[in-house]
Amino acid sequence: MGSQEVPPVPPSYLLPLLQLCDSALPNGAFSHSFGLETYLARGVVHDEEGFTAWLRQFIGQQLVYSDGLALRLVIEALERGALAEVWELDRRVTAQALPLQLRGAGIKMGLRMVEIGSGIFPTPELDEYSAQISAGRCAGHTAVAFALTAHGLRIPLAQLLPAYFFSTATSLTQNAVRAIPLGQTAGQRVLRLMHDDVAAAATAVMTLEPGDLGAVAPGLEIAQMRHEYQRARMFMS
Amino acid sequence: MTAVTALAAVGEVAAVTAARAVKAPMGELRLDIGVRNGRSLATGQYHRGALRVIRPHYLDDSGQVCYVTVNPGGAYLGGDLYTMDITVAEHARLLLTTQSATKIYKTPNSYAEQRLAVKLAANSSLEYMPGQLIAYRGAAYRQSALIEMDASASLIMAEVLTPGWSPDGTPFRYEQLRLRNEIRYGGELLAIDNVLLTPTSAGTAAVVGRPVADIAGLAFMEGFSHLGSLLVVDARIDAALVAELQQLLLKYEPDTLTGISLLNGPGFVVRALAGSTTVLTSMMDELTGLLRERWFGQAPLNLRKY
Repeated sequence: MGSQEVPPVPPSYLLPLLQLCDSALPNGAFSHSFGLETYLARGVVHDEEGFTAWLRQFIGQQLVYSDGLALRLVIEALERGALAEVWELDRRVTAQALPLQLRGAGIKMGLRMVEIGSGIFPTPELDEYSAQISAGRCAGHTAVAFALTAHGLRIPLAQLLPAYFFSTATSLTQNAVRAIPLGQTAGQRVLRLMHDDVAAAATAVMTLEPGDLGAVAPGLEIAQMRHEYQRARMFMS
Repeated sequence: MTAVTALAAVGEVAAVTAARAVKAPMGELRLDIGVRNGRSLATGQYHRGALRVIRPHYLDDSGQVCYVTVNPGGAYLGGDLYTMDITVAEHARLLLTTQSATKIYKTPNSYAEQRLAVKLAANSSLEYMPGQLIAYRGAAYRQSALIEMDASASLIMAEVLTPGWSPDGTPFRYEQLRLRNEIRYGGELLAIDNVLLTPTSAGTAAVVGRPVADIAGLAFMEGFSHLGSLLVVDARIDAALVAELQQLLLKYEPDTLTGISLLNGPGFVVRALAGSTTVLTSMMDELTGLLRERWFGQAPLNLRKY
């Protein structure tokens, strides 16, 4: 090429990953607080500082031990070509979600994600997942559907995990901005503070044992259960 | 690093590996429960090492047999493995409890572990109400239960975790508690109930996972000290029963913070945070008391007073 500059070429998965992690993705995340609304009702979380502390725990616990570990285990199973293990992981990630609304959120958003993934980045594995769900052998789960889509796009786990975590943190922050309420700028400050937490969470996922799936902090689980019988609700979970 | 310390380090790693790999059970218990003349009793029984059961007894005339497990050593130590295999035959009913609290002492080389495997045949039932768990300073412990139950069987299992024990009275000085229950109902995976508590005192025992900065605080213990779990699976459970029990739970507030939710099938889970074992025990006794009365015509349990 001589002295000519090599034009910058992004990895082929960059734009698909941005699209999948954009908050405009119609996966239904905007209608779920994953227990946050219970903390708001109890007055435990009521400002920027409180929400920062809560989001930190949500990323480090909920996302690491459920969605994060599920993403990793599904990708690892796919790399071995072990589809049966993926379907088993769908059942495990559903069974570990003890709070009814949390389980419902995983399934509902999972079904949307299968649809979105199949529509824009189709793979035979996503089709097969769809078939397993239709046959009642799988429930459908966001993390499983996301991992299947990402695997088809060859998105490395090292990028996939932080992107998924940050995308979830972004949806939750937008929900907090509406519900607490917080200013949009405050929301961006919280998200900026989450960068280290997201990186640490992605690292933590790689150290877990398969049996750790669902080892979510008890206080979070209780809040997610209590949301069911809370009177005023903006969110479905 | 000198050659001697390097060797010592290698030796330590080898010891940890060996402790994990060998795991000859320190105590084993097998119990097969059947029915004779309307009363449940052991049709097969085997124990070895530091785990045994005392003579069965009957708390009422329902036929349900009560076995109490005893750990003659008094506590679990590092590297100890305890295994329990329980089967309950058709129509048999077992109440299984422990003679005292489960104590986990310091486990410097490897965690202590208990594995419970249960098979519940058609129309059988198990009520598993072990004593509270007390992990001492420097203790790491793993407990797992695999319950395989027929769709017509009934399961009630409770657990109370205390903040542990340390010489200066500081709570949460243990290294790690891992408790995992997996329930298969009618051949399908119904629930995975996983609790993992790793306080910041971690550092002396071999534990996997990062410690949590403030185990007593937000998202974990929410300012409380004791954690209770109740897991119930029975074909008679529906949303109406869960709503009824949720109302019962309200009267334990604000001394407790509780959640109850329907599982992905006929079962429910209760998670409860409280400031003492007593309040958790009373709460669970009331919930299980209602179920015992309604399902089996039995009086509430009164196993122990702390």
